[in-house]
Amino acid sequence: MPSSPNCWHCGEALRQDVVIHARVAGATRPMCCQGCRAAAEWIEQLGLSDYYALRTSAAQRPDAEADPATHDYWRQDNARHVIRDLGDGLRESLLLVEGVRCTACVWLIERSLGALPGVVSVQVNAVAQRARVTWRDSQVTLPQLLQALARTGYHALPLDARGLDDLRRRESRDALKRLMVAGFGAMQAMMYATAIYLGAEAALDASTRDLLRWLGLLVATPVVFYSAQPFFAGAWRSIRTRRIGMDVPVALAIAAVYAASVIEALRGSGEVYFDSISMFVFFLLVGRYLEMRARHRARDLTDALARLTPPFAERKCADGTLQRVGIHELRVGDCVRVAEGGIVPADGVLLSERCRVDEALLSGESAPVTKRRGALLIAGSVLEDGPVLVQIERTGADTTLAGIAALVGRAAAARPRLQVAGEAAAGRFVVRVLVLTAITAVAWAVVDPARAFAAAIAVLVISCPCAFALAVPAALTRALGALARRGVLVVKPDAIQALAECTHALFDKTGTLTEVTLSADVQTFGGMSRDDALCMAATVARESRHPVARAIAAAHPGMQGASVSGITTQAGLGVSATIDGRALRLGRADFALGERHTREYDGAVLLADDSGPIAAFRVSERLRADACAAIDALRAQGVAVLVASGDAPSKVASIAARLNVAWRARLLPADKLAWVAELRAEGARVLAVGDGVNDAPVLAGADVAIALAEGSELTQASSDIVLKGARLDSIASARDIAQRTLAIVRQNQRWALYYNFSTVPLAALGFIPPWLAALGMSLSSIGVILNALRIGRDPASRPAGPASPARVPAEAFPRPAA
Amino acid sequence: MNILLLLIPLSLLILAGAVWVFFWAVNQGQFDDLETPGLLPLDDSDKKRTPPE
Repeated sequence: MPSSPNCWHCGEALRQDVVIHARVAGATRPMCCQGCRAAAEWIEQLGLSDYYALRTSAAQRPDAEADPATHDYWRQDNARHVIRDLGDGLRESLLLVEGVRCTACVWLIERSLGALPGVVSVQVNAVAQRARVTWRDSQVTLPQLLQALARTGYHALPLDARGLDDLRRRESRDALKRLMVAGFGAMQAMMYATAIYLGAEAALDASTRDLLRWLGLLVATPVVFYSAQPFFAGAWRSIRTRRIGMDVPVALAIAAVYAASVIEALRGSGEVYFDSISMFVFFLLVGRYLEMRARHRARDLTDALARLTPPFAERKCADGTLQRVGIHELRVGDCVRVAEGGIVPADGVLLSERCRVDEALLSGESAPVTKRRGALLIAGSVLEDGPVLVQIERTGADTTLAGIAALVGRAAAARPRLQVAGEAAAGRFVVRVLVLTAITAVAWAVVDPARAFAAAIAVLVISCPCAFALAVPAALTRALGALARRGVLVVKPDAIQALAECTHALFDKTGTLTEVTLSADVQTFGGMSRDDALCMAATVARESRHPVARAIAAAHPGMQGASVSGITTQAGLGVSATIDGRALRLGRADFALGERHTREYDGAVLLADDSGPIAAFRVSERLRADACAAIDALRAQGVAVLVASGDAPSKVASIAARLNVAWRARLLPADKLAWVAELRAEGARVLAVGDGVNDAPVLAGADVAIALAEGSELTQASSDIVLKGARLDSIASARDIAQRTLAIVRQNQRWALYYNFSTVPLAALGFIPPWLAALGMSLSSIGVILNALRIGRDPASRPAGPASPARVPAEAFPRPAA
Repeated sequence: MNILLLLIPLSLLILAGAVWVFFWAVNQGQFDDLETPGLLPLDDSDKKRTPPE
């Protein structure tokens, strides 16, 4: 690792011209930038260099933007809503920490915050990316805490303090308690029942037998009245709304068997089924618990408020300058600027000429809406092209925000199709079983009344829908967990099914398959200096989030204090803006020069005004290190890989040749979408992978969409899966896991069906005593869970850390003669 | 069989104890995060930490 050409801290490739070193754990390590050096030295200073040994993926690069002013925003008065006062000078906050990639990050955050004087406790949840911090107000402040996190390279955002004592924690604790009571109860009840069953052979005396029955009643009662409460509550709810849910037959079965057993115990004759009933409740609760955990995990990833509202807004001051303020400082009448791909911070009226916004989170309509001057923009909607000016009309609690939060909450709580189908099947099954039970009871009452109850109970118990009910949640939970560990965050659980079934993968080129850097050679026209041209271009490029624009904007700070107006972004083409009265266009040659363009500048990024070209920039693209391997892996799975790019044909062709894939160049977002539609019309299931704003329509139009976590909010909002750390190679392994999950779900359902088909007739005919029925039911459920645990066990799809030879420079791949 | 009269109440007591301990642990938040603490044993806790100046 010391000899690697990558930064020791963040894993970025090192720049040849600048050499920065830091001493970590007694050895000199190369660093890519001063930020990384500061972070590494700070970690070293705290005595935390073990972090480098423990981590499984490279750290987030400390961002130069994390300036103290940003953190100063969270002064006492602004931060009131994010801080909870615990009394005694103790304060508590919930932070959303971006860039937590593995458990070593958790360790680092806990230790580095914990080392600050005045910090009482730090709890970090890696999966939810949340840190709960308690501190002493007299010794440390929230801005200092955020600053300390930023120094280690983590951006933290304080969340609303109401999240601290959330419903969710109570829900999960309650579920766990109910589950455990049912588990203990079932264990004990089974023990006493076994004694009775065995005693039937060994002539157990009547008093001992009665004692054991009463004990069974004792342990089963809390199971029925405490653990099974959600089923009764659910049944009552669905009866009141006149719908037959899955809870109704379940509650009915529990109540009937329990009541019958209590009567038998009181009478001291017949059979008791406390064991069966406890087991039944326990296994149903296991299914519910797994499902709840999967739901919570999904909600963590799509946390409503954190994702929907930006913490800051750019307010336009009276003198025309922009000021970064927290959204809680916005007042009615303020004018804010929203960048392309950015999120509207509060409800307001559009002051610019026109723009397109994506209000999918509000309306469910994924097509962007065109708004004209004077139209109302709603907080949380995503700007497709911009930037625009918005005058605020409603802020804070008055906005449609509360509604949006509820909507997103509902979307996150929405159950996957797969699961709904599974539950419906289980529900139908339960109704059939109840009918069958009744028929069995009636038939036996005619033939041999003494055996009627036992046979009916045996049918009821052996045909437990648990295996059915568990089949889907057990597999989905396991799959979501296995994927998250590989850096694949499934935002919409339906995506697992779609991913498994996809036949074509459509990749965006720039920014997705390649990384963009601006090459040093700049061609200028009309005697302009290279620096001036770059400065002008960077000022325009700041307004776009396209990878090429970002590369240009990163190369130069741009003009300070220039008056920029009339900014319009045309996705896939370029940006135009008027700077100090001069109309400039930056982008593809045909965009920048209009009709006068020649093929000479194909592949270059041109800066032009109305009189002609000003400068031509060359951007060099490097294939991402894992692109080849990722695409080969997908192809090996039988997926047709395609590249769709807005770039010049020559550049797309060279990349496509190296990857050996089919391609189309010079595509506008609409063309890409048309290509997707064309493929889908031919019966293909399309997976789209992209990162930029101009990929959003494609991602929304595909069967399943994967966005890179580095991309814009808009892209992530229209995707089903977010890939952390831009690891393309995890796509193939994710698809592998998805397919395995589907296979296992089907296996589980088939198994549950066969089991029931073979055992129910035997039970109805009275061949199976209730105790054997209970055992069979339990084993069938356990079988389903064990089967689900096989997902993600495949050693071939184990996650690869940066320490492994996964990072191969792009040059290592054969390059065809250009 | 008289031994049952001792053993069964004993088992019930242990059961009650187990449930009580479990409830206590849940209320303490021990089960709130099942993923993160997996790393804690790897921490060299006897290493001295120097606070930042």
